[in-house]
Amino acid sequence: MSSLNNLPVQLLALNRATVLLGKRQFGPFTLSIRPGEQVAILGPSGAGKSTLLKLLARELAVAGGQAEFEQRSLHEWPLPELSRRRALLPQSHEVAFGLPVELVIGLGRVARTLDPHLNNIVQQAAEHACAQHLLGRRFDTLSGGEKARVHMARVFAQLWDAEQGLLLVDEPLAALDPGLQFELMDAMKTFASQRGHAIVSILHDINQALQSFGRLILIKHGSLVGDYQTAHVTLPLLEALYEVRLSSAMTDEGQMIVAPSLKQTLAA
Amino acid sequence: MLWQTMMTFLISTPSRVAKSMPLFLKQLSSKPAWLCWLILGLGVWAAATMGAVTMTGQDWLAPLQQDGEPLSGSAYVLWHLRLPRILFAVLVGGALALSGALTQGLFRNPLADPGLLGVTSGAACAAALTIVLLSGSGIEIPSALRYWLLPATAFAGAVTVCFILDSVARWLTADSIAGLLLTGIALNALAAAVIGLCTYLATDEQLRNLSFWTLGSLAGANWTLTGVLLLALIMVFCYLRRLTHVMNALALGEAAAAHVGVNVRALRIRVIMLVALLCGFAVAWCGMIGFIGLVAPHIVRLLIGPDQRRLAPLAMLVGAILLLLADTAARTIAIPAEIPVGIFTALLGAPFFLVLLARMRRGV
Repeated sequence: MSSLNNLPVQLLALNRATVLLGKRQFGPFTLSIRPGEQVAILGPSGAGKSTLLKLLARELAVAGGQAEFEQRSLHEWPLPELSRRRALLPQSHEVAFGLPVELVIGLGRVARTLDPHLNNIVQQAAEHACAQHLLGRRFDTLSGGEKARVHMARVFAQLWDAEQGLLLVDEPLAALDPGLQFELMDAMKTFASQRGHAIVSILHDINQALQSFGRLILIKHGSLVGDYQTAHVTLPLLEALYEVRLSSAMTDEGQMIVAPSLKQTLAA
Repeated sequence: MLWQTMMTFLISTPSRVAKSMPLFLKQLSSKPAWLCWLILGLGVWAAATMGAVTMTGQDWLAPLQQDGEPLSGSAYVLWHLRLPRILFAVLVGGALALSGALTQGLFRNPLADPGLLGVTSGAACAAALTIVLLSGSGIEIPSALRYWLLPATAFAGAVTVCFILDSVARWLTADSIAGLLLTGIALNALAAAVIGLCTYLATDEQLRNLSFWTLGSLAGANWTLTGVLLLALIMVFCYLRRLTHVMNALALGEAAAAHVGVNVRALRIRVIMLVALLCGFAVAWCGMIGFIGLVAPHIVRLLIGPDQRRLAPLAMLVGAILLLLADTAARTIAIPAEIPVGIFTALLGAPFFLVLLARMRRGV
């Protein structure tokens, strides 16, 4: 941890970065992610949330502007080196051939040529993602929720021994029941904060974003329309984002929760 | 890019051979592997005793007893015809099975097979064109060169087909095996048409050569080819150590493989070159022998699961057993005549493929 002092202030920075998908242009996006930050990306369907995440993950090339990870252009990073610093948890995801679960988790570390603690790390990552009981099974026999845990364990294994890395998450919990959602979100946040990893996550559930994330990035029509600390997000901002009337209430802990307001939608 | 990958492949191979030797032995000495070795050993012994000429125990020891005199009679048959052919069948079977295992890993699908996808017919097509065009143009080729000319052109044909398939596979929706197999059908038809055209243009002597390509036969075996193939396979095998581990990541899909740090593009090119190399050699020397690449990896997957690191070496052993059995049957069923071995593998392999299809449909 002696290197803490000279760590970059910005983990990831986009400067007027654009992406072309077919003829459609997304962006320009200008934003920066600091180490250890927990950021949610919100926006209506088709707004470009996944595109932004793919840009951050280097899955899509930058068409214009710059994208830098740790002060180095994202596309100059050798892939194996980059994979030790940032991981992506996909939305939901099949694995061909019915590989065994521990192999799928271990694949998070496939870029390391020498990895003496692999088995140990796979065990621990599985435990941390509440997936230890799935070890030994075939991936293609798992339920949706179990697959999500295994992929989470794979991502944990990937960043297990890294510090101040980046965890990109694409609507991880959308299809899961509420109890499991809570459990896994908690596991993810604990994992990230223990190691100082930043989390950037696409979310569909506004309340989850409001409760669990410190900063919200709002995306609409393929561009960035807002970037706020969660405390500063107001109801009208969210209504404008989703073009729907919302009502809000305060929880006992003083946090805002929102829900579509049925009455006003009907009246309108 | 392609050239660069080829060069790094060539340069880095010797050091990899040295480093991965323990693993090479480890993978081939697991319990299921011992079973395969046992069957293979029995198969080799049985195949050596079967055939038009009957062998005695004396013949096995003949090279030790005869002081410098050339072998004769049944000893000659054993040591100069039968044994090289048996070992050649073993090695070609291994090469075909490995190319099948790699193709399936590359396309993330257990139904992908170099034969079905048109890779072997692409290689055969290139070889057939070489035979007809070269002798048609009247250029005299030294026979020493001929060994290498056909593998080289067959390799070129296989590479071409592989890259066409690869670009089609990316252009189609991800993981669409239907699209891939349909492309294979089109490429197979195209290759068949070109081979047909060659047949039409060919002289009688070339015609015999051509039917050899299309049906597949191991009759051309000799010690030189066997030795070369053995060396090539050992080098490829050692190179597999790292490659198969990384290939497991392809099962996650291309995007996710890139996220865990795999350079997918370079990996695809490497795998394609290997598949083309293996198919090119096999086709150039033995013609089109189908279905080994489909059946062998599948049997192994049922036995020990789909981990490429364990699958590839064992699939080679199983492929070796399968082709040895098929070739022995082809040699001995209609003594003194010989049935092309490709007919046997197709007779066994095609129903197997249908069963596989049915199982996939049921989602097993």
